[in-house]
Amino acid sequence: MSDVQRRKYSQEERSTIFDGEFMPHIDSMYNFAFRLTFDEDDAKDLVQDTYMKAFRFINSFEQGTNAKAWLFRILKNSFINDYRKKSKKPATVDYQEVETFYNSDDADYQRTSDLRAESVRDMLGDEISNALNALAVDFRTVIILADLEGFTYEEMAKILDIPIGTVRSRLHRARNLLKDTLKGYAQSMGYATDEEED
Amino acid sequence: MPQTKRRTKQVVMENKEESSPERKLQCNDVSKCFQLLERILDGELVEGGNEMLQEKLDKCQPCFAHFHLEQAIREVLKTKCTKQPVPDKLAESIRQMIQDAR
Ligand SMILES: [Zn+2]
Repeated sequence: MSDVQRRKYSQEERSTIFDGEFMPHIDSMYNFAFRLTFDEDDAKDLVQDTYMKAFRFINSFEQGTNAKAWLFRILKNSFINDYRKKSKKPATVDYQEVETFYNSDDADYQRTSDLRAESVRDMLGDEISNALNALAVDFRTVIILADLEGFTYEEMAKILDIPIGTVRSRLHRARNLLKDTLKGYAQSMGYATDEEED
Repeated sequence: MPQTKRRTKQVVMENKEESSPERKLQCNDVSKCFQLLERILDGELVEGGNEMLQEKLDKCQPCFAHFHLEQAIREVLKTKCTKQPVPDKLAESIRQMIQDAR
């Protein structure tokens, strides 16, 4: 994106796009920002910054295309450039490392095969939320985009600037890690897992 | 498979019984099957996906269990992780910032 752009939209058109296509996504944007930063003030700033950038670069948005994906991409880039660096949280595990470390689907399956759908459905919102928040940021991000926000693989590839194949494998890996955590909860809460059956 | 547990049955496909004598207990290719099931759940259509899905749910117990687990996970994520309350004045302050920037 560049500051120097040809003027495509009139003042009035810009307002229409901003209010009609950008503002309706504020809830999803805030939820995404909060789950990236874990801090209400940072999330607020991140969403505000994103909307400011969206307004400044509105001429590079094609009216009628996917505004939500366009906004999410700006938010994700702002997070990486402005927030991730100054975050007080300990450095997250690089996903490449994790992807190499856990490289066997069969092993993943062995570990979580006894986690049951009913146990997952019976879990509390906080447990699900904590399990999601416990994932490294790159894994957390793909789950948020796919499962909370319903983006397609193709949209996710654009938002994250990665190939579709990487989206697919990262998502698969992320869900396996999530299941590990959920399985731990299920066992500690005494939910039924097949292992415990007599 | 225990029969005494209370369970909520999820109706997705015609054959929704949790265990069935028709299903084999070992999956021939866990890795390939599960990735396929996950793509179908993610709405990424694969050619002949529905037929393959039906076949696996009918004939393979690990695939059946995996499909329902993955489906449950997607459901709870969607219903339990999207309710972060947005601060009252956020939308207003954004509109103000835009106003000032004009
Ligand atoms: Zn199978």
